[in-house]
Amino acid sequence: MLRYVRFSRAIATLGLLCLLPATVFAQANGGPRMDHENTLPPTPTGPTPRTPDGHPDLTGLWNGLADNLLGVPNQMHNVGIEVGTDTTRDIHSGAQIATWPLQKRKRQNNEQNERAATLLRRMGSNRPIYKPEYWQRVRDLDANSNEEDPSNSCMPAGVPRMGSPSLIVQQPTYVLFVYPGQGGLIATATSYRMIPTDGRKHTNLEDLDGTWNGESIGAWEGDTMVVDSIGFNSTSWFDQLGGYFHSENMHVIERLHRDGNTLTWTATVEDPDVLLEPWTTTPRVALLNPDPKAVLMESLPCSERDLAHVVTKEHH
Amino acid sequence: MPAKANMTTVSNNKVLVLAVFAGLALQTAGAQSNASKAGMGAKSMDAGPSGAAVGPGGAPDVAGTLKSAAEAVGLARWSGVGGERLPEVDVVSTMEFWGTGTTYGSERPSKSSEALPAFKTEYHVALGYNPPAMRVEMTRTSSGPSAQGGAAPLHTIQVVREKYAWDETEIGAGLIPGKGTATAAMAAANNRLLQLWILPYGVIKAAVAAGDKTKMLTENGSTVLTFPLSGSLANVLVKATLDANNQVSKVETRPDNPALTDLATETLYSDYADHGEIATDVKSPGHIIRKQGGRPALDIQVKTLDANNPYLVFPVPANVKDAAAH
Repeated sequence: MLRYVRFSRAIATLGLLCLLPATVFAQANGGPRMDHENTLPPTPTGPTPRTPDGHPDLTGLWNGLADNLLGVPNQMHNVGIEVGTDTTRDIHSGAQIATWPLQKRKRQNNEQNERAATLLRRMGSNRPIYKPEYWQRVRDLDANSNEEDPSNSCMPAGVPRMGSPSLIVQQPTYVLFVYPGQGGLIATATSYRMIPTDGRKHTNLEDLDGTWNGESIGAWEGDTMVVDSIGFNSTSWFDQLGGYFHSENMHVIERLHRDGNTLTWTATVEDPDVLLEPWTTTPRVALLNPDPKAVLMESLPCSERDLAHVVTKEHH
Repeated sequence: MPAKANMTTVSNNKVLVLAVFAGLALQTAGAQSNASKAGMGAKSMDAGPSGAAVGPGGAPDVAGTLKSAAEAVGLARWSGVGGERLPEVDVVSTMEFWGTGTTYGSERPSKSSEALPAFKTEYHVALGYNPPAMRVEMTRTSSGPSAQGGAAPLHTIQVVREKYAWDETEIGAGLIPGKGTATAAMAAANNRLLQLWILPYGVIKAAVAAGDKTKMLTENGSTVLTFPLSGSLANVLVKATLDANNQVSKVETRPDNPALTDLATETLYSDYADHGEIATDVKSPGHIIRKQGGRPALDIQVKTLDANNPYLVFPVPANVKDAAAH
């Protein structure tokens, strides 16, 4: 049997500690808590404010069940697994998943918690369909993600892996998206995107140097902000887990729609070089932070210190 | 968890199901004289290996037993990484394993005294339960008395996804023009799906999905679960025996139509462990022995397994969809 040496508890503990900065930040601002009782999206309430030009105003500090990767409930939400009190459903396939209601249960050590979390994050059926010649590569990247995942080396998550922005500032000719470094699964530095909405066209792809976030242009389709991005490097992965690599020909279409105090974000990934068909993320629903005094705190720097101590392939 | 197509309620077949259910119990309990007695020939549950078999009032605790069985193989899970207040859920979605052993030909020998053709087999299975799908890749080399010297290994890839079944010349064949051939094999769909649902994880998922139709008995001191499958396999009854660790040790299936011999199976599972290169706490059998239609079908030792919900996809080739539509 090819069993490697067991994962050290110290490493598992370090993994848990990675979650702390984001948690402290969010709870200090009246934001999400880690101890969700379900993974259902928040129900929208209140009116949707509009800017003077008539578009929905996306401005605000957004968090909640979306890409503030505060543990398993958020990650299950992000892959389309809706867990209720005694039922669980995959929103993409409609499959009902066996569920055993919460009751007194044995404590688990860090190893058990981390192993279960790794499985829970990968339960969803919504997987991009790669060309068959790349199936094994995706599996290998995921299995070896401790070394292969660029985020584990403090590289930027990039678009669309960063997910939904935590702060949006909307102006008549551009929007500003801010993504605080969060620890956890995408333990990367704070990133921002300044996205023109003035009607300009993309630069020719061959004239772009591939970057982590690409060249993004925003436009309104009705009440939905559509952000179209090209010009990526081929280093990033396009979802939080799974070894989902892409080529420099990736094209990403993000859609952001505000409904009262909720913001729903999706991204569609097109990459005819490696994918058989376009793939769309699970809709991620963020909740407006109601605290008018809430601010984004400075993120801790990402400094990779763990990899040299990892002795197994166990991973997030 | 069976997808919708396999979860279809078959209430109009209830009478038929009950009748066959009784028939199964008669067979498995040694054809006792009065099938109408509680437990249909087997003793009703009064105690189980896990101590979780009796519910309030002394009634058989089917739900508790299923939970114990799910936990015994690492299928029912929760995580303290932010999920302390979530219920336990079935985490087994996709899985891949590799094994070696013997498989047997399905052709009957010309003389009854002759042994079935046997093949040394490299066995590779990729499976998923959401949607239900399975890809079995085998490389078989003749062995035993029927072996022909110098025969080239036979490589086969058999796939099923829900109602679609096909054979591939290479993994993922037929999805991109010029890259392999996919040949529809619709008649094999039920047989292939059955292989998925009689794996220990499939048994637990299907028993939970069967709800009140799942019954619990004791036989020879062991806990036994019986339940019908659903969807296109609604005509198949399953009898699963749990061992002292609440792990599925034996699975028998019986179709309501005895002529469907491929759906009559008996599988033994043993040597449970976490066989993964990457530990998951998901326990899988290390040894699988199966009979089909009363004859040996396979005897496989599992070498390694990836239970970490790996990237496994089963897109249906367009020509297979076309074949199914006509």
